[in-house]
Amino acid sequence: MSAGMPTQPLCSIIGSVGIPADKLFRGTSASMNGSRYSGRKRWTVASLILVFLVCGWFLGLSPAGLIPPDASHWDRTLAFFSAALHPAFDYQDANVPDSADPIWLKGVKGLLATIRYALCAMSLAVPTALVLGFLGSSAWWPEPRSRLADVVLRAVYLCCRFVMSFARSIHELIWALLFLSAIGISPMAGIVALALPFSGTLGKVFSELIDEEGRDAAELFKAIGHRPVQTFLVGIFPLAFPNLVTYTFYRFECALRSSAVLGFVGIETIGLYIQLSHEEFYYREVWTYLYLLLALIVVVDLVGARIRERLHHPTLTWQS
Amino acid sequence: MSLAATLTDRQGRVDDLRRQRTRSPFLAVIVSVLAVGIAWAWLSAGPLFGRLSGERRWQNFTNFLHELVPSPVRKSGDWSEALPWAWGLLTDEGFVALMTTLGIATAAIILAAMIVLPILIFASRQLSRLSPFGLQSGEAGPIHSAFWRIVGPVIRFGFVLSRAIPEYLLAFLLLSLLGLQVWPLVLALAIHNTGILGRLWGEVVENADTAAAENAMASGSDRTSVYATRILPGVFNRFLIYLFYRWETCVKDATVLGMLGLLTLGKLIALSKGFFWDRMLFYILLGSAVILISDLFSTWLRRHLR
Repeated sequence: MSAGMPTQPLCSIIGSVGIPADKLFRGTSASMNGSRYSGRKRWTVASLILVFLVCGWFLGLSPAGLIPPDASHWDRTLAFFSAALHPAFDYQDANVPDSADPIWLKGVKGLLATIRYALCAMSLAVPTALVLGFLGSSAWWPEPRSRLADVVLRAVYLCCRFVMSFARSIHELIWALLFLSAIGISPMAGIVALALPFSGTLGKVFSELIDEEGRDAAELFKAIGHRPVQTFLVGIFPLAFPNLVTYTFYRFECALRSSAVLGFVGIETIGLYIQLSHEEFYYREVWTYLYLLLALIVVVDLVGARIRERLHHPTLTWQS
Repeated sequence: MSLAATLTDRQGRVDDLRRQRTRSPFLAVIVSVLAVGIAWAWLSAGPLFGRLSGERRWQNFTNFLHELVPSPVRKSGDWSEALPWAWGLLTDEGFVALMTTLGIATAAIILAAMIVLPILIFASRQLSRLSPFGLQSGEAGPIHSAFWRIVGPVIRFGFVLSRAIPEYLLAFLLLSLLGLQVWPLVLALAIHNTGILGRLWGEVVENADTAAAENAMASGSDRTSVYATRILPGVFNRFLIYLFYRWETCVKDATVLGMLGLLTLGKLIALSKGFFWDRMLFYILLGSAVILISDLFSTWLRRHLR
């Protein structure tokens, strides 16, 4: 890659989730180490603390609110945390028929449903985001271009940027509410509700990662006569590809979390089971589901870290 | 050399390169698992559009679209009435809800930052060891060496756990324990973002230029002062950039957390649902506007800080 470029622009910050920071830091630490900012830093920290206090005052936060307000809440808190040590292996609800799935199987099925929504949504979101990200990036624009082409390209660029910003400015739960209201409870409502904001975020980050990739290779391909789109496909996209993959996997992890939460608006994922058991005060069941969800997310998180290592440092691992 | 020979040569070279490329069985397994997973997900999703007939669904959909039109406009057909209607909603509860949403997000992200900042000394892969940069620091007894061996991985795993639970779920659980007040929402967002900031800031520290830190360490500074005076100044802007990126996300999350019953936009959205679709759309668009603005603000700030 173009590691030798002295003034490589920083990767997009949003894109850098899951992207090794050595890419981010290429040749910038010197410019940031100066003492130029020292006074400003102190002010920044002080004003952040001030802002925190103002927010706390505005919201009426007081330290007293950090403990349960009365005896019944204390009981509930104790019951909840002691249940953490004894997750349920059988239903606490006496009315569950014997023929029902054992609770661990129900939990695993809930997890599978959670994974299913996340996978379906991501398989829609990634292609959409690739198209939007391509159109919302300027890396493939031909270099001398006519005035008309320039106007058209800029219009397309702005449109795509706006569509992506709008799609991700609405939370997936709210998209889900809208779709459930519009077309009724159905798997597709959940899938599209997840896919929309995710393609917005992915597309935005894709375009920024692509735009900030080094252009050395691209210049070379252009010099030997490749057309702009060819240059993009051969000289820029492959360089950005590892970053796109790691970021996509990170978003998959987020999709799993969001998909679990979709249970709260009535789509049958593990979130729904947690909500139902919690409403009946079956805290041990809640913990069973929580542990399953935690295990899934932690495993995916660790696999993601491994993928990042493989893609960016095939031979180098930190010795600790 | 003939053209044919050159071509064979080139083909041979290409084959050579292909054979030499790095391969990872791990990645191959992941890719195939994902491919099979996606196929399974679509095939097993059941009737994708639910059990309603297409006709019925279309009818629901058009009804829904009709209900989205602001109610005064629906009655009179005059769009000039939409603006006073929207203004009424905004001054009635919308504005307060908006401010609460922003307040929760801001308080939560700063709280998370205040938690992560000191912990990072113990989470950093370079500092949190018996001999940072290969330089002995502090005592080296069995207890100390055991402590420094354990503390880093434990805290880093704590970060993984705290970001694993979705903030909505956390808020839901905390609300039932702490009662209906703002703390549960702030705490839920703060806990989740502690894990995320811990990882993002941790990566920044790990990749920072450590020459100054090593010098200070070699001349006898301890971990805390090295961290505070030799590492933090260099990574400060990076930290801020991540902080604002997470703040933007927090605003979005704080909006929906209100659906659990506190006065943020989410509550207004949840309450209007089913009866006042027009109001619901207004609140959704209001939230969306706030996020677009905070997005622009944090983009501007990031560019500035860079």
